Amino acid sequence: MAKHKGRGIATIEYPTGMNQNGDPSQAWVKLKPDGRVDVFSGTVDIGQGSRTVHTQIVADTLGVPFDWVTNDNTNTDSSAVCTGSFASRGTFIGGNAVRFAAEQARERILDIASKELEIAPGDLDIVEGEVVAKGAPDRKIGIPEVAAAATWNYGELITGTGAALKPYADVSDDDGSVEIEPHSAISYAACVAEVEVDDETGEVTVERLIQVYDVGRAINPTLVEGQIEGGAMMGLGLGLLEEAYPYYPAPDHRGGEFGAYLAPALEDLPDVDNLIIENPSEDGPFGAKAIGEMANNAQPPAIVSAIYDAVGVWVTQMPATPERVLRALDGEKEPRREGKRVIFDDQLSIRTVSSAGGKGFFETDG
Amino acid sequence: MRLTVNGEPRDLHSPPLTSLLTALREELEITSPKAGCHQGGCGACTVLVDGEARRSCLLPLAAVDGAAITTLEGLGTSDNLSSVQAAFDEHYAAQCGFCTSGFIMAATALIDRTPKASREDILTALSGHVCRCTGYIKIVSAVEAAAKGDVHPERVEPSFEPEEAEVLIPGSPA
Repeated sequence: MAKHKGRGIATIEYPTGMNQNGDPSQAWVKLKPDGRVDVFSGTVDIGQGSRTVHTQIVADTLGVPFDWVTNDNTNTDSSAVCTGSFASRGTFIGGNAVRFAAEQARERILDIASKELEIAPGDLDIVEGEVVAKGAPDRKIGIPEVAAAATWNYGELITGTGAALKPYADVSDDDGSVEIEPHSAISYAACVAEVEVDDETGEVTVERLIQVYDVGRAINPTLVEGQIEGGAMMGLGLGLLEEAYPYYPAPDHRGGEFGAYLAPALEDLPDVDNLIIENPSEDGPFGAKAIGEMANNAQPPAIVSAIYDAVGVWVTQMPATPERVLRALDGEKEPRREGKRVIFDDQLSIRTVSSAGGKGFFETDG
Repeated sequence: MRLTVNGEPRDLHSPPLTSLLTALREELEITSPKAGCHQGGCGACTVLVDGEARRSCLLPLAAVDGAAITTLEGLGTSDNLSSVQAAFDEHYAAQCGFCTSGFIMAATALIDRTPKASREDILTALSGHVCRCTGYIKIVSAVEAAAKGDVHPERVEPSFEPEEAEVLIPGSPA
């Protein structure tokens, strides 16, 4: 009876947004007469920071300071349509909607500034809230003056609308297969878990998680980090603690109280090392892809693989509770591989995909 | 029953076995303590009772008669954050915000009691609090910063200055 250490790895690729049924986000941007910017979008900020990210996208697209922009996403009745904060679509799809809206408003700003400065719009640029003639930086006009001129002199509202829509998929009448435009950005990630398994109690402790995420452009690295760290603990919960069965899918069987559902607590917190890789997408705002749901996908398989590395048995049902680990240890053991790091087992992987009726992978402890 | 809530004497008329949480939220309309589990398990309802962090969902009003209660509303304002609040702000230690006031009250009680709290002190003091968004990491760094006094509560002034726009409105007096 002893404690064993193991290490496992899992990789994921994660597509952005819904992939079949159309997935629109819309946004509207307008300028106040004093140059401040209002953004109306339907994307709901549930703490992940989409409001901040969208404000950054609009500010950078227009070329104005961040705090000139107010992002009002509080009214679902009058705001532009957004299907919701899910599928890791807030930055990519919602962000594209506000980007397109801001691009349109930017063109209107340049048109008005062009009249005021008598310089063609194509020869103008916007830098930190000022429209500046390319190559002649002393010829310039502030966006507050442009917005005022639009309002009081030209009788115009500087505005822009934007919409991002993932197209509907064609479903084949013959066999129900679906063909889609593969235009969504794919994010990639890997997670290494280091665990300690007590073969007497079945208890698994995650000691360290090393995580690498390719998120395209990290528009707000602190917020991305927040998603990755939060996802690490959610994934740890899914891997070790959070049991939906037998409650799911019958709600009347669910745990009736807080204590009946284990969520990771501070005492479960491992060392977490995160690395963000910026591998820009072609069509996301400023090269952004997605970080959200993908942040809690890689930890459970990495943990289960680390358990295998530690004690030589696969736990085939998650979460890997102490009971399941002990049952797996009581079953037929794989040869122990002390001192070896097993990342990919050829024999096992082949059996996994062709295991109909065979011993092993799909035969669970239950 | 009479309590001092955030420095002000308040008379409460809820029945004596009403939980402090319910009395605060429904009678006094102080909503920063959150009703998470109603079992003392999640920490979202934490308030200070005579300076000590307590679960307001488990405290009958009768048990705290005469006590001084501090909630998040009694710590700082958005223009003048307490050091723990400022640290949470700086370190992005809140996402959805449901657990945040409980964490801030527990951290405040810890730092009042143990001004140079170590990482172990912090982990122990916050261990009964559940957060499902942040993964705890930024919460712990925020409280570590507050314990070291490494916070900068002064707010950054907005760069927007509307008076920069000098535009003559046609027809307006010059």
